[in-house]
Amino acid sequence: MSNLTTRSTIPIDSTLILAVLALIGIGILFIYSSGVNSTGVLISNEYLRQLLWAFLALGVLLVFSYFNYNLLRDFSLWIYLACLLLLALTLVFGKVVNGARAWLGIFGLGGQPSEFAKIATILYLARFLESRRNKIGDWKVFLQAFLLVAVPMALIIRQPDTGTTLVFIPVFLLMLFMAGGKVRHLFFVALTGVFSIVMALIPYVETIIYHETDGIGSLLTNWTTMGIVSSFMVVILCIAWYGWIRFKKSVFYWIVFFVSILILALALSSGLRLVLKEYQIMRFIVFLDPSIDPRDSGWNLIQSITAIGSGGFSGKGWLAGTQSHLRFLPMQSTDFIFSVVGEEWGFLGGTVIFGLFLTILLRMLFIMQKIRDRYGVIVLAGFLGVLFTHVFVNIGMTVGIMPVTGIPLYFLSYGGSSLLAGCIMMGISMNVHHRRFMF
Amino acid sequence: MGDRNLISPENKTPRLIGIGVVLSAIILLYLMQLFSMQIINNVRFTQDATQISQKSVSITAKRGEIFDRFHEVPLVQNVDSFQVNFNPAEASASEIPRILSRLSVLLRIPFSLLDQKVPERLYTSFQSIELRHGIDYATVSQIAEHRDDFQGVTWESNPIRNYVNIGTLAHVIGYVGSINQEELQVLYNQGYGMRSLIGKSGIEKNFDLVLRGKDGTRFRTVDVNGRNVSSNSTDKIIPESGKDLVLTIDRRIQILAEKALGPRNGSVVVLRPATGEVLAMVSYPYFDPNKFYTEEASQEFTRLQTDPTFPLINRSIQSAYPPGSTFKIIMTTAILGDKVIDPARTVVCTGSIEVGDRVFKCNKLTGHGVVNLAKGLAQSCNIYFYKAGLENLGIERIDDYSKKFGLGQLSGIDVPGEISGLVPTPKWKEKNLNYPWLGGDTVNISIGQGYLQVTPMQMANTVAMISNMGRVYRPHLVKSVFDPLTKKVEETQPEIIYENPLTPEVWTAVQNNMRGVITEGTAAVVITTKAVKVAGKTGTAEDGGKGSSNHSWFVAYAPWDDPNPENRIVLAVQVEKTNEWEWWAPKAADMIFQGIFGNQTYEEAVQTLKPWYINWQ
Repeated sequence: MSNLTTRSTIPIDSTLILAVLALIGIGILFIYSSGVNSTGVLISNEYLRQLLWAFLALGVLLVFSYFNYNLLRDFSLWIYLACLLLLALTLVFGKVVNGARAWLGIFGLGGQPSEFAKIATILYLARFLESRRNKIGDWKVFLQAFLLVAVPMALIIRQPDTGTTLVFIPVFLLMLFMAGGKVRHLFFVALTGVFSIVMALIPYVETIIYHETDGIGSLLTNWTTMGIVSSFMVVILCIAWYGWIRFKKSVFYWIVFFVSILILALALSSGLRLVLKEYQIMRFIVFLDPSIDPRDSGWNLIQSITAIGSGGFSGKGWLAGTQSHLRFLPMQSTDFIFSVVGEEWGFLGGTVIFGLFLTILLRMLFIMQKIRDRYGVIVLAGFLGVLFTHVFVNIGMTVGIMPVTGIPLYFLSYGGSSLLAGCIMMGISMNVHHRRFMF
Repeated sequence: MGDRNLISPENKTPRLIGIGVVLSAIILLYLMQLFSMQIINNVRFTQDATQISQKSVSITAKRGEIFDRFHEVPLVQNVDSFQVNFNPAEASASEIPRILSRLSVLLRIPFSLLDQKVPERLYTSFQSIELRHGIDYATVSQIAEHRDDFQGVTWESNPIRNYVNIGTLAHVIGYVGSINQEELQVLYNQGYGMRSLIGKSGIEKNFDLVLRGKDGTRFRTVDVNGRNVSSNSTDKIIPESGKDLVLTIDRRIQILAEKALGPRNGSVVVLRPATGEVLAMVSYPYFDPNKFYTEEASQEFTRLQTDPTFPLINRSIQSAYPPGSTFKIIMTTAILGDKVIDPARTVVCTGSIEVGDRVFKCNKLTGHGVVNLAKGLAQSCNIYFYKAGLENLGIERIDDYSKKFGLGQLSGIDVPGEISGLVPTPKWKEKNLNYPWLGGDTVNISIGQGYLQVTPMQMANTVAMISNMGRVYRPHLVKSVFDPLTKKVEETQPEIIYENPLTPEVWTAVQNNMRGVITEGTAAVVITTKAVKVAGKTGTAEDGGKGSSNHSWFVAYAPWDDPNPENRIVLAVQVEKTNEWEWWAPKAADMIFQGIFGNQTYEEAVQTLKPWYINWQ
């Protein structure tokens, strides 16, 4: 009972809440700025709506920080299933916004279920991993866990929202990592993913950028060659497998490990080429060379880099950016909000944003270190993964380090769903921290 | 804690530190990228930023107009035409369907097509979408008056070419279109850009650089839609208008020849032999280039390209046929020029001749009887020329004379696409057909048959050489280039392309023989005009295939006896055998000569001649 007396009565973590408030405040400032056109007239009331969402989201944050989060764990299966249902409904009844059927609602009220599906999946996957804590290194558990993530991913990629779908991968890896998963399993997944994407894109890169039609890429798309290569690899795989079982030498294990990565990646890359749409491929291509298509796919990237680069050390001043107010920058209040910050507040503004996000991420690590509840650690690992991936992919895209994938920057980008989801994650994190003495 | 993979308070710390290090490293990397962009490369990006917003907008120069030789009413002019664009991000998404439905009425496009061009996924796009081009001024001003109802709708002026009743001049004048990739690669250094219009055929193509002028530039600060945001910068480089072209074409003669040929596949060339000026150039069937500037352009183009009668071909320079009996004027020149036969020497025509194991027939199966050179040409006796070709001239001489007249060569006329035809030589036959030259081949070419292929333009030049006594001037269609600004006129100078220095006696003899064709020969019943004395030669040429009908030719000049070559006019008419009108070429020529020298329209000429083959009442 002594634990109860030492615990503070307010569950709010001041470090997290201050960083979040600062980010939301900066976000609203720049959503306002991006609503101002070249003649200085405000043409959008997005900033007002974001203000309302911010109040609602902070309220939700308080709620989620307050009640016992074990409730969430107990109901996590139902929450997970409810979110899957919502995702399925979205595919049928959803509204198309920016090319993806991602928005669901009635009477004008609604949001993007995929934002909440991330949280629900994390809550349930954490419970699953925690309950299998003694068999976490087992292949079967690993596959079951992956299946739990794969279902929402499959539903979201149908929208199609590639960006949000891909977020699940690092989240899954990070959760497994903190649940005590084997590092080599994580590497297996990560390498397979990277190889598949690279191998899927090589033929397009060769033909579109280098205008070569008889390079490695043509071999990858040639079914005969691939048939020979993969059957050759299957033979190697079988021999190595036998060797491993018979002699138990680790060299055979690693051969099996890498060869199966290659075989899987070959199969997956061929599958990807069938599934990927032309605009998705072009996003990767223009990421490598924006000048391929400067007016269309490369436009966003070129405009964003130009806006940020021209910001300089201290920026052009709030409301004084040229690229954004002349409206060269697309989607400046949502996906490209960082470009507006970069242009108007320069390197200093960028550093402040990085500092705030780093504060949140490190604070979450700190909480994970302090708490003893295994479930809490795994959930926070998931949240950390979500936040971290969104920050790196979104900002990376605006500065040209990452290909264009439309995922928002938490707390800054305009949009109720991502703001709510961000605050729910913060609320639960505070909650977990607050109740650290109960276990 | 037996299993080391289980996270316990003791072993989760290294993993957490690992994550923290990776996170911080990535943040650091991003900061470095930001530093390199905003601090190190700031100057470059600042320049880029101003460049993007400082737009230089090209001001299209006015394309030159095209006139006929009298330089009064333009054949080709420019009319206002607008391209209407839509920028979805500038309109609120909920309004877009309403805007599109209003536009659908105004622009006369089905709503479904607009909906296809502006699908819902593009409602937030900042890219302008072209809705329709070829919109007139009145429609655009309607949009401009109700700007509030048409958010995001912009337009740009793209003047288009208007071809004013040019009829069969379509081939000569040609048309313009958007520059394509191949053209751009070749012409990039000459001031053409991605959006340039360029002449695609005819005069429009050959004189594109003269007509197009020089585009100007306007520099201004613009927003993403190209809308002016600062009014102070009005710097511009003023465009230079293109120059006007005055053609050698005489519109009245063109129409006269067009009507005389009528709806028959064939062509007419009317030349002024003293200069090489082309007074009329008709090719049937023809096309209407104005249709290339409408929404139906591509269908029209496909229709023309797949039409089995090839309406896009300028038959007078892009189509070659065996010249048939008209070739006998070249044979006559060769006989007289090289003095191989005494013109008075006679041959008895029995209606056919045997060469080797082949029998060659005369056009008159009962035979012409006793024939000398003059009668041979006048009656177009094949037997006479078979013998002359085979026994007296020989293939080398025939080839030599053909080439001196310009057959088998390009005349260098100032419109593109001319073909050279073919003068067959023994060498050519061995190389291409892998078969030696036979006596029969010489017999064939002697009457303009066999492998010989000529264009109507080449036959016109042949007659021009006879009329000019040994000289041919480069045929040309542009009389002068007129600069509308400085009023300076640049005349095209006549240029000799072929010369054959035979004595005037030879030429006079050939001329007289050609006159004989009209007075007592094959054309006597057809060339009935009293307006002028014509000298010419008829021709019916077999061209492979079956059926009784032949190509019909008539080549001539007039006046025959006018000592001043300036007054002479050369005419070449060719009517393809696919027509049911046998023998039409001399009939058309008769009406054309009547019209030109009687100073009459086609209808008046018909009234004067009252020909039996036309219902002239």
